[in-house]
Amino acid sequence: MGAPAGQNFLIEPAGQSRFNGLIPMSARKFAADKLLWETLGRWKRSSPELDRIQFLKTVPFFDQLSNRQLKRVSDITFERTYQTDELIFEEGQPGAALFLILDGKIAIEVCRETSTTRLAVLETGAFFGEMALLDDTPRSATARALERTRTLALYRNDLNGLVYRHPRTACRIYRSLATMIGDRLRSTNELVQMKTPADTAGLG
Amino acid sequence: MSNVQDFEEKERERKVRRKVFYLTFATLALIFGGFLLWKLSSLILPIIVGCLLALAFRPVKERFRIRWLPHEIQVLCSFAAIGVVLFFAFNTFRKHIPDEEQKLEFKVRLKYKLNDRYRQLVAKSPEGKSNAVAALLEKELGPLMDKINQVLTLNAEERNLFLKYAAGYSGKPPIQSKFVDYFRANQTTGKYVIPEETPAGTASPTAPAAPTQPPAAEEGTSLESKFSAWILAPLIFLFLGFDNGQIRRFFISLVPNRYFELSLTVLDRLDDAIGRYLRGTLIECFLVGLTLALGLILLGIPPGIAVAIGVVSGLLNAIPFLGAVIALVIGVSYALIAEDVRPLIPGLNPNDLALYVVILVVIAHVLDDVVFQPFVLGGAVNVHPLVVVIAIIAGSLIMGLWGMLFAIPTVVVVKTAVETFFKELKDYRII
Repeated sequence: MGAPAGQNFLIEPAGQSRFNGLIPMSARKFAADKLLWETLGRWKRSSPELDRIQFLKTVPFFDQLSNRQLKRVSDITFERTYQTDELIFEEGQPGAALFLILDGKIAIEVCRETSTTRLAVLETGAFFGEMALLDDTPRSATARALERTRTLALYRNDLNGLVYRHPRTACRIYRSLATMIGDRLRSTNELVQMKTPADTAGLG
Repeated sequence: MSNVQDFEEKERERKVRRKVFYLTFATLALIFGGFLLWKLSSLILPIIVGCLLALAFRPVKERFRIRWLPHEIQVLCSFAAIGVVLFFAFNTFRKHIPDEEQKLEFKVRLKYKLNDRYRQLVAKSPEGKSNAVAALLEKELGPLMDKINQVLTLNAEERNLFLKYAAGYSGKPPIQSKFVDYFRANQTTGKYVIPEETPAGTASPTAPAAPTQPPAAEEGTSLESKFSAWILAPLIFLFLGFDNGQIRRFFISLVPNRYFELSLTVLDRLDDAIGRYLRGTLIECFLVGLTLALGLILLGIPPGIAVAIGVVSGLLNAIPFLGAVIALVIGVSYALIAEDVRPLIPGLNPNDLALYVVILVVIAHVLDDVVFQPFVLGGAVNVHPLVVVIAIIAGSLIMGLWGMLFAIPTVVVVKTAVETFFKELKDYRII
């Protein structure tokens, strides 16, 4: 789930120059201008911001976004650091943000009267709390840092604001979210059908 | 085992150190902040106005965003557009702020017209039917009229200046002969209630003229300092316009992890509620001002003056109850001195202009209560009328007119903040 090692964001891969072949002068000039502005744009950005964009690129949730769109997302995220055993959110609290793990490890747990069940352990590049991007229904589980963990939080209303400012970017994020929820629903349905074939047959 | 114990011991010490550090820092920050607040109290109001304006105009900035234009240029453009609108509004308004000549003319006209109407009111009818009412009015209004006349009487210096302007002075056209006649008629106006101790006569004009000099100089310096402080308001408006969420991010970064989502939600709800209230109030004031301006134009008052009265009354409408009274006073004062009024609505008697203005102000405020307020504010923030009255009085005691203007927004901000904060604290199971 982590960022691809050794990939340099600033340097173009060798042998893929934009000026090869018989390209008209105007197109070359346009390409040169574009390259200049892109380089200046990258130079303007601070290195932590570049790192963040690099990281976001590796998250499947944002895989349909371009660099420019990733920058917009990066601009509205909050970086938070949690110490070992610190709670990121608790079951039953209203959800407000999606969390992406920059580095570290977190556990998703469900507390019952007598025991605590660990549902999953998530590591760098994973995300959790995505349902909070849709509404503020209570969290269905607790998230706890298992070690010192850095996260990026994406607040629901900031994403809503993106709908007005950059609708294409927001639309792609919502599409990813919808696809992911659809996949989960499908797999849950399959699971239900597998577990209770007799009941479903009886209903017909 | 000893390593683990050492580590735990170190962590405990670190926690203590952290607490001491935070406490010391918070105490120092409080002392320093308090000192700054006390010393720079004159800057608070411009800063608040700048922040509130930025909050109110933010949706405009968001709505008219051009994707390919850099954010800073867009903000500068929108700031320039607002500046141009304000400049033209101020210019239109300034045309109707009287200069020295017009002030003298205004005083003469007002004194003449008021006395004329008073005499008509208390004139005894030939049959002597309304004698009792006229006597009562004379008894009640006489002393008031004497006081008004005392204020409106020109002193010797002003009289000389008026006569100079009447003949054409400092390159200005001479004052209309009609007003010179008013001036002459005013000279013969005596007192309506004869005082027992001092004989009636012309008011001693030279005595109050001398002490006016030093306050004028003081006023100049205080105006200068006020002006320099008020420069902050547009600057804050501009820089908050440039802000792309960095200020919010900075404050959120200071919040402990436990309150991270809570603070985001609280800030957002507050921002939304206060912004909606401010924009609603601005739109409501605009609609009231527009109604009054259109009504005054229909009553035959020149459009420039009608718009100027509309702007002032609309702005003052932000002060509940009192705004309507001030609008009434301004409108009726102008109606009393208005000349050659030709109402656009047929069948209206120009002599009853003051009465029509009263009816217009009443209509505008009924419209405000019944249509504009429910439609624009939509009961988003309900403040009890008693709280409104107490807040306005408290505001006036603390900061005068500005205090009255900002009393209700302050109450709304505090009420919304407390309500939202407690609700969210409970939702997040912190209390």
